[in-house]
Amino acid sequence: MTALLSTRRLSKAFVGVQALRDVSVDIGANEVVGLIGENGAGKSTLMRVFAGVYGPTSGEIILHGEAVQLRNPRDAADHGIGMVFQEQSLILNLTVAENIYLGREGSFCRGGLIDWRRLNGAARRQLEKVSVDIDPRTRASELSFAARQMVELAKALSLEELVDRHLVILLDEPTSVLEQKEIDLLFARVRDLKQRASLVFVSHRLDEVLELSDRVYVMKDGEVVAHLPAKGTSTSELHQLMVGRKLNAEYYRESKQRRCSEEVVMRASGLSAGDAYRDVDFALRKGEVLGIAGVVGSGREELARTLFGMLPHTAGTLEVDGQSIVLKRPSDAVRAGIGYVPRERRVEGLVLFLSVLTNMTLAKLPMVTRTRTINHAAERSLGRDWVKKLRIRTPSTVTLCVNLSGGNQQKVVLTKWMNANSRILILDHPTRGLDVGAKEEVYELIRDLSANGVAIILTSDTLEETIGLCHTILVMRDARITARFDAPPTQKPSQLALIKYMV
Amino acid sequence: MDSVSDIRPRKATAAILHRLSLFAPGLILVVLIAVIGLVTPEVFSFDTLIVVLADTAVLFVLAAGVTFVIMLGGIDLSIQAVASLASVVVAALVGLLGFWSVPAAVLVGALAGLTSGLIHVVLRIPSFIATLATSGVYVAAALILSGGRAVTLTQAGRADVEWIRATVLGIPAVILVGAAVAVASFFVQRYTAFGRFSTAIGAGEEATWASGVKVDKHKVIAFVLSGTFAALAGVMLTARMSSGSPELANQLLLPAIASVIVGGTAITGGVGSVGRTLIGALIVSLVRIGMTFVGVDIFAQQIVFGVILILAVVVTIDRGKIPIVK
Repeated sequence: MTALLSTRRLSKAFVGVQALRDVSVDIGANEVVGLIGENGAGKSTLMRVFAGVYGPTSGEIILHGEAVQLRNPRDAADHGIGMVFQEQSLILNLTVAENIYLGREGSFCRGGLIDWRRLNGAARRQLEKVSVDIDPRTRASELSFAARQMVELAKALSLEELVDRHLVILLDEPTSVLEQKEIDLLFARVRDLKQRASLVFVSHRLDEVLELSDRVYVMKDGEVVAHLPAKGTSTSELHQLMVGRKLNAEYYRESKQRRCSEEVVMRASGLSAGDAYRDVDFALRKGEVLGIAGVVGSGREELARTLFGMLPHTAGTLEVDGQSIVLKRPSDAVRAGIGYVPRERRVEGLVLFLSVLTNMTLAKLPMVTRTRTINHAAERSLGRDWVKKLRIRTPSTVTLCVNLSGGNQQKVVLTKWMNANSRILILDHPTRGLDVGAKEEVYELIRDLSANGVAIILTSDTLEETIGLCHTILVMRDARITARFDAPPTQKPSQLALIKYMV
Repeated sequence: MDSVSDIRPRKATAAILHRLSLFAPGLILVVLIAVIGLVTPEVFSFDTLIVVLADTAVLFVLAAGVTFVIMLGGIDLSIQAVASLASVVVAALVGLLGFWSVPAAVLVGALAGLTSGLIHVVLRIPSFIATLATSGVYVAAALILSGGRAVTLTQAGRADVEWIRATVLGIPAVILVGAAVAVASFFVQRYTAFGRFSTAIGAGEEATWASGVKVDKHKVIAFVLSGTFAALAGVMLTARMSSGSPELANQLLLPAIASVIVGGTAITGGVGSVGRTLIGALIVSLVRIGMTFVGVDIFAQQIVFGVILILAVVVTIDRGKIPIVK
């Protein structure tokens, strides 16, 4: 098979993180190539390199036999590479037709004015290609997630008219927001498309990947670790390759998992927030690590945000230390002794352009009690102590956080809450974007915190992490809790047992 | 990996620009003093110096107040109106309250700032629009209170208003007030929680909010400070002009903002200080003197300030942080 699109020893480094390491893959004509791996494995990064969003640090991209440089998404589009993004990229206040031809209205212009009839007609044709019955004049904001996904697919396909070549369509987790019926439709379209395009399909759903792909690449920690034909491969085989040595129980420091106390620090009864989640009950104990598992849309993201005051609940009760409270804003939560390590650490976790020290004391400034002024000396010494205690790798405490690696940034975020003496911590995807070594350090910290009586609520991308770290696991689906599991160190539930209640 | 941004290698230029923005204002000030000293040495006679410093003091106090708001990431366009309103309040009340007309005017300024701040925070109106609107209200209030004309202080009903132009050891009170404001502001920025949090809000509002800081409260405090300082500047101006007028502080908004930016505080907030504003105010003052000596028309001077403002923003703005300019 002659490859249509390949990479040779492609590497991509960001500040402090090696996202891709010597990756060489081939995408042939008229085939679907599956790309799997855990979060942080590099799949999205690789796709974005193909789509021209990122430029490689080293290595080559070869298209139609020639080395190419994809400087930006427009460039990639001109070469016939289109991407259907995971986090939808439609502009919501524009119409479907405007979205499909965004940036390329030029071909419909006459004397500088857009011929809307022609544009809408062309859009209608693109929509027909994916057998979708939407009026191209509909605003994107009025469409369902599934419909938008199809419009994105149509948009990627519309490249066909512009580029006189075989297309490469990149599908980044297209099914995560779709219902089964819609997934079947998408798959049927994808199979039709094989005739005139090659497709790269990234997904966490291994069964779907095997169903749709001809070949599969498995990535782990920025490298390609396996390459198999889809036929004859099982999901458990793929899973093993994806996860590899991490099946070792010590990765999650399970031997350090101690029994937590019986004292309840936070209790939820019938907690609901509109349609996001309903009737949530749980009792969080001192020193417990409570995991919440669920897919996008299950309500767990919203539940986590309620517990930190970012999304006040609308029904039911929430008690902290026996007192019923409503958390209307983060300052309420901090006052109640709750801390939050957010998923978007660079936006909500840290003030990137301020120093490590300032970030560490942001939730609790060391003050001179009598004068209510900042105690700078105490602050400096606190900073030094924390850096040493947590082994944070930074040139100094006045270094700006933007210059730290992801793992060290995350440690600073955790320090902020430890400094504020939080008794309840909400960890939202705490190891996202971290390399293996950094993850292990975070796991150690979590164990130490738990041993010191801090109660932790954990939402994570990987079931394995959730199972390995937690004492108890709640599973959510469609806005409700569907199952509860105990996860003591020697009797951890299997992922399959959980998945049954998640999807 | 989705939230990691691609930092393209423009680090060398960015580092140089950053270094420049830190020291440039001080250097520019030194150069200006040297140039003016060479060209027109008579500027540095004691009497002229006093006048220069007194003018600068007014500008500085006005600019210091709005520095607090800019540090947070907002802007206060009403400072000029508040200053004028304060001058009218002094003129209106000096007959009745004598010295106490001054604290009254400052209180009015604080209330004006509180109003602007609450409109911004509670109604969620961008500070640009909120303060543009309130400035109209304050100007109108000043016009109503003064009957639309300037009121000299003796006319306003107090035969002896010399106290308002007091000097201490030959130095006008306004300069001492300016110095006191500088010291107080430095203290607030460095030693109070408000000072720390307003820097953090300007540098990263979401993360600061997600750390439990009461962002709205601090924003309102910044606006109250801005209004208070603007009123104080208005009072100082009244002292220098011996009259209160709804147009007294006209033409001061642009130089005040220019002082903040030229001093090295980023217009987006998070970086800077009142100390820098002091340097900026001195530079702006000296530029104005330079222009007067050269003979530039007073209205054309605004053009010069506009150009300086653009140049200053170009040097201080950290492009790395702002991929999209609105």
